Amino acid sequence: MAFLQQLFPWITNGPLILVQVMSGLSVGMFLFLVSAGMSLIFGVTRIVNLAHGAFYMVAAYLMSSLVSLFPGHPLWFWVALLVSSLAVAALGGLIEVTLLRRIYRREHLLQLVLTFGLILIIGTLVLMVWGPENRTVPRPTALAGSLDIFGQPFPTYYLLVLILGPLIALALGLVFYRTRWGMLVRAATVDRDMLGALGVDVSRLFTQVFILGSWLAGLGGALAAPVVAVALGMDAEVLINAFVVVVIGGLGSFAGSLISALLVGQLQSFGILIFPAISIVLLFALMAVVLIVRPWGLLGRPEE
Amino acid sequence: MSEVILRTVGLKKHFGGVQAVDGVDLEVPRGEFRAIIGPNGAGKTTLFNVITGDLRCDGGRVYFNGHDISRLPPHEISRYGISRTFQITSIFRRLSVLENVQTALLTHRRRHYDLLTPARPLFREEALALLARVGLEQEAARPSGVLSHGDQRRLELAIALASRPQLLMLDEPTAGMAPRERREIMELVARIGEEEGLTLLFTEHDMDIVFRVATRITVLHQGQVIAEGTPEEVRANAEVQRIYLGEHG
Amino acid sequence: MQWREMVGRLPLPLPLVEVRLQLWAVLLGAFLVVIPHFLSTFYVFLLTEMAIVALFAAAFNLLMGYGGMVSFGHAAYFALGAYGAALLVKKAGFPMLPALAAGPFVAAAGALLFGFFIVRLTAVYFAMLSLAFAQIVFTVIFKWYSFTGGDNGLLGIWPAAFLKSPIAYYYFVLAVTALGLAALYAIVSSPFGYALKAIRENPRRARYIGVHVKRHQLWAFVLSGFFSGLAGALFAFFNGSVFPDLAFFNKSFEPLVVVLLGGMHAFSGPLLGAVGFKLLETFVSSRWPVYWPLVMGAILVAVILVAPQGFAGLLARLAWWRKR
Repeated sequence: MAFLQQLFPWITNGPLILVQVMSGLSVGMFLFLVSAGMSLIFGVTRIVNLAHGAFYMVAAYLMSSLVSLFPGHPLWFWVALLVSSLAVAALGGLIEVTLLRRIYRREHLLQLVLTFGLILIIGTLVLMVWGPENRTVPRPTALAGSLDIFGQPFPTYYLLVLILGPLIALALGLVFYRTRWGMLVRAATVDRDMLGALGVDVSRLFTQVFILGSWLAGLGGALAAPVVAVALGMDAEVLINAFVVVVIGGLGSFAGSLISALLVGQLQSFGILIFPAISIVLLFALMAVVLIVRPWGLLGRPEE
Repeated sequence: MSEVILRTVGLKKHFGGVQAVDGVDLEVPRGEFRAIIGPNGAGKTTLFNVITGDLRCDGGRVYFNGHDISRLPPHEISRYGISRTFQITSIFRRLSVLENVQTALLTHRRRHYDLLTPARPLFREEALALLARVGLEQEAARPSGVLSHGDQRRLELAIALASRPQLLMLDEPTAGMAPRERREIMELVARIGEEEGLTLLFTEHDMDIVFRVATRITVLHQGQVIAEGTPEEVRANAEVQRIYLGEHG
Repeated sequence: MQWREMVGRLPLPLPLVEVRLQLWAVLLGAFLVVIPHFLSTFYVFLLTEMAIVALFAAAFNLLMGYGGMVSFGHAAYFALGAYGAALLVKKAGFPMLPALAAGPFVAAAGALLFGFFIVRLTAVYFAMLSLAFAQIVFTVIFKWYSFTGGDNGLLGIWPAAFLKSPIAYYYFVLAVTALGLAALYAIVSSPFGYALKAIRENPRRARYIGVHVKRHQLWAFVLSGFFSGLAGALFAFFNGSVFPDLAFFNKSFEPLVVVLLGGMHAFSGPLLGAVGFKLLETFVSSRWPVYWPLVMGAILVAVILVAPQGFAGLLARLAWWRKR
């Protein structure tokens, strides 16, 4: 113990550890929002949407513009949150209908490259609209401060995420497990042939799923805007993190994304404390280990 | 009684709670044309997959020519002299018809780690001869994926024959074909089988074909062997009539 | 629309295209030998880079086009080749040529180690695990200051005296690339290559004709890593330095883009793609650096939707039309 304490002086600091766990949880919630959308889209359409991170970025930039329209107005922040995430959902729907729909039957490689092309296009468009400087989004006044947890500060805004994240997870769970639409989505994920038997309009279902998935990415981006640097390149960063989360959890598995997002959140939160120099590599090491031990992720199912 | 080429002892395989293959004992003598029949879901394809190493069995043993091959992967089993075809035609769709067969010949001769010899002229004549045998010599240069369904089945047969098997396993060789095509392909299979002295093990839904080609029939139901005998014996078996033939009217 | 119509089966195979190589190779070779004498140093450098990118992309295409395996982390092997050579020069005092020759072996060793795990997966998972290993390589290079120099890189990796001039080094790269491409061409036309294509088409069937699929894929991975490392080592001496970005994931997408532009089902695809890619990059990105990714993205989307077989496919279609 003494040895451990020498190595990690924070190990006996209970409040610090608690705050780390909580901030890990809120990071996990952000990751969950983004990766659940990606996993959902993959589960149904079998497309790994590399542009998912770009959607997230667009929402954050939209947020930065919208919030500054009426700064200080107590409700406006929430309106902006809704508008920017819905705008991204619409963007996703547009892309699905005009581009992705044409390549569902093609090799997955071509699908990957097409969505990679979208990253480049969207990234440049964002640069053209908003310019190269980083932008900041103020937090709503009520959530601007920080809480005191046994003497450790914890940003109030994170508390919002800690509450909103589980609520959204719950709502999604209800949609997937309690509605006919959700049943169709799960059916598509598990056994695609069943859909044909049910006589479902598959292309409409695909579009709807893509819109919902994009909305989740947008919501993640809009929510994250006040706590991250809204900058070019945030798309790649979030894409890689979300990707890792989805792959660890198992592509197409909703519960898998949730578990793995929380896991990765903690890993990031404590990785910085334990191995500050190589915290980035931890993420990939974790993914490599999971893929080696369980090649289809924690809760994924093998592809035939 | 002639020498047994394939023997399974108490073979088992389950998926979740379903016992797909439930203690199957088979003895197939060399040169026999054995049909495995049974209603959908009887475990025929699973039995094939377990024998050929595609699936790992949960219990029991498979012996081929006296060798225990129970736990071997497909690529090793193929080297012992077992070839198979699949319910859904399995060929190399974007390779030419000739390349399909050439590749099978190359790998059978263990040449596939050769990095330097140009492969194009290798075993060309032999491949063309095999194609002629299944009636595809005219199609040699075409991409195999554009062939008709029946011709793709013939090609698959040629690929399976390229590794000079002793036992040829055919999983519903006539699935999805027109009646005339069905007869043709089964006649072809039977002719080649006789000429080469092959042992055939096949599943089939078309009873006309089964009774015409098989020398002996095994009936599978819910993963278990419920009857076995000559076509006449099986036809006369009351239980078989009840659970299987009855269903088809 | 019913499911089967949308995603069920692969569409009918596109006819495979192979632009006639022999005659063109000779003509092209002669052209490439003569041309630098008429060009400024800028263009000699550009040609040198094209050759290196072509070799890298052709090595990558051994996996993607011929093996059906998409790696998102091939920069790792390019970087291992580059750093392997650079470290031998800097830390072990090797002369240029032995260091250059050792680079690909370092990359192949890395490919063997990582590939052992990667080839056990398929499709998207294959891509992701290759990306994960590449990020690990990147991080190790980036963080290990005492050995790799971290983000300061390693400087002063110059070619031997007789290769100092741009034209001399260009000829050297041209010769090595030609040898590398010849070796890759031999591999794809060999029995090994036939079996590899068979695995791409139908791994299950390949297994049943006696191929140990995973082992075969692993050797293909190692070979691909070897030639990627060769390209990396050539690049190290061309650039005079190595930096961690060589292993960054942006670099991993370069061969992917090049191969797609050129056409992945033709051996000449990566070569055509490298020329097109480098020309575009040089002229578009120097004039409108901001729009470069937009142009690149738009080209990719257009290629996928309109010409999934790339330049090589277009050429083959053209040839077919002219024959009629």
